[in-house]
Amino acid sequence: MKQRFISSAQIILQLALTTVGLTGQTYPGKPKIIRCRSLEKETFSCWWKPGSDGGLPNNYTLFYSKDSEEKIYECPDYLTSGPNSCYFDKNHTNPWTTYIITVMARNEIGSNSSDPQHVDITSIVQPDAPVNLSLETNTSANMSYLWAKWSPPPLADASSNLLVYHYELRLKPEEKEEWETVSVGMQTHYEVTSLQAGVKYVVQVRCILDLGEWSEWSSERSIQIPKERLPPEKPTIIKCRSPEKETFTCWWKPASDGGLLTNHTLLYSKEGEEKVYECPDYKTAGPNSCYFDKKHTSFWTIYNITVRATNEMGSNVSDPHYVDVTYIVQPDPPVNITLELKKSIKRKPYLVLTWSPPPLADVRSGWLTLEYELRLKPEEGEEWETIFVGQQTQCKMFSLNPGKRYIVQIHCKPDHHGLWSEWSPEMYIEIPTDFRVKDMVVWIIVGVLSSLICLIMSWIMIMKGYRMMAFILPPVPGPKIKGIDTHLLETGKSEELLSALGCHGFPPTSDCEELLIEYLEVEDSEDQQLMPSHDTPSKNTKIIHKETDSDSGRGSCDSPSLLPVKSREPRGLPSTLQTQDVRAKEKKGGKGSWETQCSASEQKMLPCNSESIKSCTWLAAQLPGNQAAMFAYHSTVEAFRITLNTTNVNPSPVLVGNEENRQSLYPIAETVYDDVEKISEMEYSKTDQTTVQVRQNQQNDKSPFLNPKLMDYVEVHKVRQDEEPTLLLKHKENSGKTKKSTIPGTSKEYTKVSTVVDHHILVLLPDQRTQNTPVSQEPVAETSQNPQDSQAEKSTGYSTTAPSDSRGDTSGSDYMDPSSFMPSFK
Amino acid sequence: AASTGGTLTGLLLVTLLVSHMLLTKEGVTSMPICPNGSVNCQLTLEELFDRAVKLATYIHFLSSEIFNEFEERYAQGRGFIAKAVNSCHTASLTTPEDKEQAQQIHHEDLLNLILGVLRSWNDPLVHLASEVQRIKEAPETILWKAVEIEEQNKRLLEGMEKIVGRVQSGEVENEIYTPWDGLPSLQLADEDSRLFAFYNLLHCLRRDSHKIDNYLKVLKCRLIHDNNC
Repeated sequence: MKQRFISSAQIILQLALTTVGLTGQTYPGKPKIIRCRSLEKETFSCWWKPGSDGGLPNNYTLFYSKDSEEKIYECPDYLTSGPNSCYFDKNHTNPWTTYIITVMARNEIGSNSSDPQHVDITSIVQPDAPVNLSLETNTSANMSYLWAKWSPPPLADASSNLLVYHYELRLKPEEKEEWETVSVGMQTHYEVTSLQAGVKYVVQVRCILDLGEWSEWSSERSIQIPKERLPPEKPTIIKCRSPEKETFTCWWKPASDGGLLTNHTLLYSKEGEEKVYECPDYKTAGPNSCYFDKKHTSFWTIYNITVRATNEMGSNVSDPHYVDVTYIVQPDPPVNITLELKKSIKRKPYLVLTWSPPPLADVRSGWLTLEYELRLKPEEGEEWETIFVGQQTQCKMFSLNPGKRYIVQIHCKPDHHGLWSEWSPEMYIEIPTDFRVKDMVVWIIVGVLSSLICLIMSWIMIMKGYRMMAFILPPVPGPKIKGIDTHLLETGKSEELLSALGCHGFPPTSDCEELLIEYLEVEDSEDQQLMPSHDTPSKNTKIIHKETDSDSGRGSCDSPSLLPVKSREPRGLPSTLQTQDVRAKEKKGGKGSWETQCSASEQKMLPCNSESIKSCTWLAAQLPGNQAAMFAYHSTVEAFRITLNTTNVNPSPVLVGNEENRQSLYPIAETVYDDVEKISEMEYSKTDQTTVQVRQNQQNDKSPFLNPKLMDYVEVHKVRQDEEPTLLLKHKENSGKTKKSTIPGTSKEYTKVSTVVDHHILVLLPDQRTQNTPVSQEPVAETSQNPQDSQAEKSTGYSTTAPSDSRGDTSGSDYMDPSSFMPSFK
Repeated sequence: AASTGGTLTGLLLVTLLVSHMLLTKEGVTSMPICPNGSVNCQLTLEELFDRAVKLATYIHFLSSEIFNEFEERYAQGRGFIAKAVNSCHTASLTTPEDKEQAQQIHHEDLLNLILGVLRSWNDPLVHLASEVQRIKEAPETILWKAVEIEEQNKRLLEGMEKIVGRVQSGEVENEIYTPWDGLPSLQLADEDSRLFAFYNLLHCLRRDSHKIDNYLKVLKCRLIHDNNC
């Protein structure tokens, strides 16, 4: 075979596959033995499945051998069990032997054999299904049972009918899926109990020989189990209801009828009557109900109602149901519900609901009174809002959300008793939005009109330009404050401006403000003040000075009086005595107040502290220095008098008038100067001469006031708080003489009181006539003797003053530049 | 000429008057305000009926409440309702049992029946109000209602007598009234029996109060609104 195969393969190769490909002929495929089966352990059959036939008619041969023998036999009977099978009859079947079976397929080209199959007869036994299944039902003593009968499977060999089978039966209600299987045993009939009445059952059986496999299930048989025959169970009265308080109906629910036709009877008795009546009308209200018409309906009477169910097996009566018709009234829902949207005066929409009582209910006679309740909710809402409206048949609903769709329902019930009706069918109403078109139109028109007007107005404005502007807004007159340099204002350097205004410490302190007021009070004669000159910026300071002096409060900040005010800063100096004052000025003040003054002054000033205390103190000493010391007493006490008098008053008469005072003061002044001298000596050796001179002056001239030539331009400062009189020499800064007002030859006579400032400060004006003649040589000498010192003093002193001063611009002013004392503000 | 002038002025006056009436729109109603002590000043029948109906409704409301409360508290599962059949002391008064009967009966008879029922309740209500205090753990709501019903019943009786006096054409009939002998039952030692006696009394009270309420409403609609309420 192999050789043939090889040769055929060679042929295939040699003939380039065409011949084989065309004919498709080949040797047969491998057959397969499907199963071997014995129906009754005495015979058996084997079946096989052919492989491919190779395109040619095949012959199949079954060979078998027994385990006990070497010999190979062929199938004894190919026909009995059908095609492709081999039947082994009793003679060829040995239950104690294992058969080895193969099937060979053969055609013209070659042959092929199946795998060998080992067969043990006892293990391949499987009988056919039982036959002739028949079912019966029987009922005895109210029990239904099922009787099933069948026959064992038929066999080809009738002689083997003596075989004993075991049977199984299974059954289920027709509509169910799960089977209930019952082991029957060897009998061929079975009785099934505990069946459900009225159910159709399906039954099958199968069998088995002691070993082996179960047969197939037999074909199905089904049977209907008849219903039971029982007396009915207790029916239940569900409810009784009167829809209009005139008739009523009761319904009941039948229980199990026992599989028999059952009649239901409603019986009732009324309170106060022995007689039992039957339902007057079973039909009107439908099945399982009883309708009591008006004739049969009484109120304020208890009905005792029962329902009896009866069939041929017996009857059963429901529990009694006690009914007082008054309390079972449940009307129908209201009808004719209308929803109407109305608008109030305020145009707020509100909902008007109207409805009618249910048609059955006779509310007009007063027999039945209904109360209503309505509920509503927005369509998408969850919770109902329920409103009890009483007996009225309309309702107005306010405060509904506009733009929402509402669902409305109404139901009703008799007053005080009975039950609520069903809810009426849902009614829908859409509340329009609150948006009022009319109003909007009005507003739009108003808006358009107003914008139009605005446009026109602006157009006119543009066209007419300044004329209109001028008409509507007349030009504001420019500031006409004398002395304000507009140019400076324009340049916008605020610092400069401020300094020009003289108030270095900005904002002004309270001290400044105090002075301001006082300064204003003692306004000086206008004559002596400089006329404002706008021409030269160099004169700014003076202008400002003047301005401030005359009218602006700020000027007071700049006023010379500020110096002493500030000089009082030194810790509470003893005030009453001038001596103390002066001494204090030189002593403590020298250290404290002047120091403070210097340090507090602007950057331009020389730091006196660092350079030398002397120079600072010198300033202090110097300022009052030359003559001031002399006039110290003069200032304070007399100042008041002078102040009381008008300005420009020649001091002399006043002084004369006050000689007594002067006298009294004088010695004190002396002591003062003694002290001063001492101090000066101690502290400042360089100032010795000055003090000496002063003293000499005092000594020489008994009354310095009598000698006007001794007088310099002097300011008398009275520090109010401490009442320290201070004499300040106001250096005349006349033409060309800038810083060095005390330059020799400039001594003047001060005969006029220029201003009395602040009740404490006396501003003296030099006598123009005597200006040229040196009044006092001592001061001149002093200054000349100490040119360096004086220079230092001056520089220091001026440095502490306003920059304008240091610039030396000031000229022609009888006033001391108040800004020179500005540091004292600090 | 003078007469024409007079007629003209008269016409003018009439027009003025009419226009004034039209303008004010307020016709003079026949509702004189009664001064105190006035003899002829009476409430209208409608007002009397309104008040009577309100009162009857109120009494029925109270008796329903008191009955429900009592039933809930003391009568659960005791089957009192079955025993309560046909045991109201006013059962002997034949009253209309349905709408037809209520509409057919003469209103004077019906009024007298109402009076009779009300009178029949005078006595038992007094006892109820006192005896109900002895019920074990009687809630306050039951107690005050019993008192309230008793008082309101008297008021209603007064009002009804007034109405009857107004409506009655002939002589007032002899006082109809059925005596009540239930006091001993309210004082029974056996709690179950005693509670049943209360239950029954309250049950009857609820029924009769409803009857009266219902009859009064029917009468009102019939007499005042000509059956068109």
